[in-house]
Amino acid sequence: MSKYHNFMQRPLSRREMLGICKGGFGTLAFASLFGGLPLVGCDRPKKGLAASSDLYLGPHYLPKAKNVIFLYMDGGVSQVDSFDPKPRLAKENGEDPRKKFKVDNTQFDNVGKILKSPWDFKQYGECGMPVSELFPHIATCVDDLALIRSMTSNFPEHTNANYFLHTGSGIQGRPSMGSWMTYGLGSENKNIPGYVVLDGGLIPPGGLDNFKNGFLPASYQASVLRAGAEPVANIRPQESIQNLQEQKLGFIKQLDQNLIGKMGEVDAVESAISNYELAYKMQSSIPELTEFGAESEATKKLYGLDSDDPHTKGYASQCLLARRLVERGVRFIELTCPNVGADRWDQHSNLKQGHERNAHAVDQPIAGLLKDLKSRGLLEETLVVWTGEFGRTPFAQGSNGRDHNPSAFSMWMAGAGIKGGTIFGKTDDYGYRVIENEVTIHDLHATIMHLLGLNHEQLTFRFGGRDMRLTDVHGHVIKDILA
Amino acid sequence: MLGILSSIGFLDDPADIFIFLGRLHPLVVHLPIGFLFLAALAQLASTKPKFQAITPFISYVWALGALSAFFAVVFGYFLSLSGDYEPDTLFWHKWMGVGVLLFSIACYYITKKTTKPFLYTKWFFTGLVTVSVFITGHLGGNLTHGSTYLLEYAPNTIRGLAGMPPKVEPRKKVTELDSADVFLDLISPMLDSKCTSCHNAGKKKGKLKLTTYNEILKGGEGGEVVIPGDALNSELFKRISLPEDHDDFMPSEGKRPLTDNEVKLIEWWIKVGAPPDGYFTQLNPEKEVIAMAENFFGLDRENQLYGRTVVAPDKVVVDSLRSRGFVLNRLMKDNYFMGANFSLSERKLELSDVELLVQLKEQLIWLDISNSNVQDAHLEKIGQLENLVRLDVSGNAITDAGLNHLVGLKNLESLNLFDTDISDGALIAIPKLKALQKVYLWQTKISPEGISKLRKEHSDLKIVSERE
Repeated sequence: MSKYHNFMQRPLSRREMLGICKGGFGTLAFASLFGGLPLVGCDRPKKGLAASSDLYLGPHYLPKAKNVIFLYMDGGVSQVDSFDPKPRLAKENGEDPRKKFKVDNTQFDNVGKILKSPWDFKQYGECGMPVSELFPHIATCVDDLALIRSMTSNFPEHTNANYFLHTGSGIQGRPSMGSWMTYGLGSENKNIPGYVVLDGGLIPPGGLDNFKNGFLPASYQASVLRAGAEPVANIRPQESIQNLQEQKLGFIKQLDQNLIGKMGEVDAVESAISNYELAYKMQSSIPELTEFGAESEATKKLYGLDSDDPHTKGYASQCLLARRLVERGVRFIELTCPNVGADRWDQHSNLKQGHERNAHAVDQPIAGLLKDLKSRGLLEETLVVWTGEFGRTPFAQGSNGRDHNPSAFSMWMAGAGIKGGTIFGKTDDYGYRVIENEVTIHDLHATIMHLLGLNHEQLTFRFGGRDMRLTDVHGHVIKDILA
Repeated sequence: MLGILSSIGFLDDPADIFIFLGRLHPLVVHLPIGFLFLAALAQLASTKPKFQAITPFISYVWALGALSAFFAVVFGYFLSLSGDYEPDTLFWHKWMGVGVLLFSIACYYITKKTTKPFLYTKWFFTGLVTVSVFITGHLGGNLTHGSTYLLEYAPNTIRGLAGMPPKVEPRKKVTELDSADVFLDLISPMLDSKCTSCHNAGKKKGKLKLTTYNEILKGGEGGEVVIPGDALNSELFKRISLPEDHDDFMPSEGKRPLTDNEVKLIEWWIKVGAPPDGYFTQLNPEKEVIAMAENFFGLDRENQLYGRTVVAPDKVVVDSLRSRGFVLNRLMKDNYFMGANFSLSERKLELSDVELLVQLKEQLIWLDISNSNVQDAHLEKIGQLENLVRLDVSGNAITDAGLNHLVGLKNLESLNLFDTDISDGALIAIPKLKALQKVYLWQTKISPEGISKLRKEHSDLKIVSERE
């Protein structure tokens, strides 16, 4: 009935009253049978969970990964220019693609000629994975990467594709995967939110709904930390008198608890109380987090904090922050892209210039992150995921751009439980469509959850009359890329 | 003419054509069941005014039932010629089936007649048909699946009513190879999953039963199937090791064959004298046999530790550790293995913390005490946490003396010593950790020569000693 989180819940409706009385004693017995010890590692709001079918929260089986760093390549990196070399494009450069293969309608439907990649590929590492000149630094880490060349998306347009990638549904309003993971596993750190988005400058199309909790309790939404001096607005206390703020907060809490006393346990009010408490703790935890003084010069250099390119520098500090968040037990960290002044990875024109600027901003920091995590032993328990929302066409849009292509794109994962140096899936000779081992976004979600010890079919939340899942009714774990 | 007859095998005994038709019995037999129940139901319904309109059709349904019962009986008789069935049950199944046929014919005639028969005749025969269909069907089920099939998983109260003994408790899942019984845990489950659906007390194809040790050694119509000590001349091993398309290959008729591992394990079992019981490991199996057995029990996939079931931890200890800043997580749903993280506590580790931890030594498999001012003395207690699989002590001023306390951690797979004062003494301690797969040694005091020596002597060990 009143499961629509936008509306304040009534204390008890007639139907709920009947429902509770009917199942009351049975449920009590059931809970005492299975409840026993609540052994989840964190304080989490109980509201909404007790009512759902889930009596156990925590990993379903022994996890490989404890944390996820999600490197979101906003706009869609071109697969044939990065990780999926296609020599045939060079051979047939300038020819009409419609004479070669069936061309789907694209976003702008301004289909040009077949366009060869402006960058050369070289093989790297012991595994010999080919990487283009765009990513000379990431190329040195290929033995730790599992590359999937056969990704597909259901949507050819940014907003829906972003929702799909982030929430498993192309429609606005579902919980983000970070929310699902923190709901399933909790956060280890009481002073920092369990799901953090490090905003590099570009919020993806679709906006903050990419990071929302949807129907999950409000405490599972992402907290967005901005790049720069003040990552969170109003993070410093404004009160001049020492414990004035504490007194104010105490008063607000008292008011809220009075309200709960009258209304019963209401998710909105309980989440508000816990958010106030967390915000108070963040006043000290966030400045400590963003203070890089203790980092060695070698480390800063590794990430590219000394770069001449301000965008590299900015993304480097985001990557370093990501490592520091992992050290602090934050469950899910997403990095959005910096604004390099040539649009996101969405080069409908000027592919060469745009992709080069974007790649330059993220390449060294990402490689630095992987190496730093590895040497500290953190890569063993951290899953790093690198992907866009879709790929790009092997033929030009206009003369020198590429349009959206949801029928094939490349992504990679590294770290906990991943078989490094693997290449999975295949595209056709043009890199236009998947011809072998298609991996859907649902499969990706199922695999990420699997590595965190979560069975994607078992982590559910009752909403709108049924048990909802991140993968809905889809998803298969991609076993071939697992160690 | 004779040629045609012989080509379809008519002259064999019993003729192939009969066996062929006989095997259609299971297919046809469900038709009369459906028709006859429908007829009985329709007849019942027609007494209500609402359904009176169906009365003229009821006799046709009886006719359909009788006709299909006829075919079921004939095909069933053909099937019985092939033998292989338990004779007592077969006798009753056969004659009850004939009964169903006769009663349903009777029903047809009674309902067909326009003249009204004696009041209760119709209902008498309807009841008779219904009851006999039930009994015949049940006997047929017993013939194919064995007489224990129906109630195998029934609650013990229901089994009691049927005069059956309570359910046999299944043997506990093998979690350690040392506790595996060679016959009860290894051989018998293989035969149960692949052989006994045909070679059981009810069906005993080839007069062979493979349900108990004594029956196996007794053999079937061709004599012994297992000659202890001589696998190659044992019929059982011969039949399962033939090429799959061979006529004599078992399991026949496209049923799921035994895996290569299972075949080899059975061969080994016969070779060592087909013992009826005894621990597997005490029979001194060779290395590859152990590997196959581990694979069969699913023990090769992960650390053997995870197969063990641990009890729930003491709530008082858990709460007290939490209040001291430990983050304690349960790591799987069906067991109480746990991970503990102290690195976020903003406290220095104390001896009393470690003593509390030791009380969770059954459950604790992951421990993170990085950057927590850990001293060598603390590690003495940490070394008692024998189930630890992952241990992170990075960022602490610990030395080789402390590391030496950890060498008894026989399940430890990953050890993080990054940013510690460990030096070349570690080269002696690290190889003592038998399960170790990964060790992190960046920013320690181990010499470069020490590292390369370690790498050379332990090529399976993943050593991270620098930042590329």
